[in-house]
Amino acid sequence: MEPVLTEAARADVATAASSSPDSPRPSTTAREKEQRLVAWLAARRSVILGFSGGVDSAYLACAALEALGPARVLGVIGRSPSYPDAQWDAARTLAAQFGIPVLEVNTHEMLDPRYVANPSNRCYFCKTELWSVLRVVADERGFDTIVDGTNADDMHDWRPGLQAAREHEVESPLADLGFTKDEIRALSRARGLPTWSQPSSPCLSSRLPYGSAVTIERLRQVERAEAALRALGVDGDLRVRHHGDLARVELSADRLEAWLAAPNLRALTGAVRGAGFARVAVDLKGFRSGSLTVLGAAGV
Amino acid sequence: MSAPSLAAALAAHGVDARVDARAALAVLTVPNADAAERLRDADVRRAVIALAAQHGFTTVALELASATDDRAALSGH
Repeated sequence: MEPVLTEAARADVATAASSSPDSPRPSTTAREKEQRLVAWLAARRSVILGFSGGVDSAYLACAALEALGPARVLGVIGRSPSYPDAQWDAARTLAAQFGIPVLEVNTHEMLDPRYVANPSNRCYFCKTELWSVLRVVADERGFDTIVDGTNADDMHDWRPGLQAAREHEVESPLADLGFTKDEIRALSRARGLPTWSQPSSPCLSSRLPYGSAVTIERLRQVERAEAALRALGVDGDLRVRHHGDLARVELSADRLEAWLAAPNLRALTGAVRGAGFARVAVDLKGFRSGSLTVLGAAGV
Repeated sequence: MSAPSLAAALAAHGVDARVDARAALAVLTVPNADAAERLRDADVRRAVIALAAQHGFTTVALELASATDDRAALSGH
């Protein structure tokens, strides 16, 4: 049976959702960083960037357009099974709306057994593939600088993909100029970018514990489960962590009270079971980035 | 990490659940959604998470038993 929320349950969830704080206006510091960013970009002959349609790359693409114009900017969408189809649709829509020239290319990290084995430095192998592909595109089309949307906050996280970026001479102006995620959100909002309030959206492989092989079937299971929960009304941060037969659902902490109400919990459980998980459990702490890192390889 | 001792500690705090240990993940299974209502309270959740940490678990998740689950297993934790 299709899981549905009762009217009262919908009201419960809507009340929780409406409590989200608004992003503040950009600070003077953020505005100054933006001026330095535009100047930095304008000093390049042309830039090609990894474009996912997420908060950071969308903002960077718009800044690059302002600095260089559309003929000297190219956003490359690296299509991979580890991202949900909905994300590519959103990236294309955003690019069309803001006039960002984009090219879609396929990446093949799933053919690399080192990636599929899902070690703790899995992202290194994925990014190595992505930047290798972008390097070829840049050389073929005469773009002189490759940039990515890494920001200053990212530098404090465990991100083995950064090493791949360094090895491929990918520049990270947002990180280098000290942009925090909050500043990027505020500046995005000021530019009218719909991504300003978008939750972070790391790849679907990040839902699998290290050591649990990355397979197309598991990625699609996670994709279906998260899509079903969004359709049910889950907003804000959301991760469906794949523990074999068990899905562990992480929701925004401020939505937990609403979703643990009996009718909502029943609907949530039904939605995730419908995506192919035998067991469904809601994490009692709610969403936190890198929760599988805490569990390590044993969290399968 | 001990699932039975965590289950006993939870029961003493008024949370009746079967505990399934998956390494550092504790899955608390309750028989139905009404039994989960108590966990809506953030203070109760914090207490449960703290108890689980005392028993060696870094992560706690709440599961509803499926209709086909053996209810005897739920009461026999």
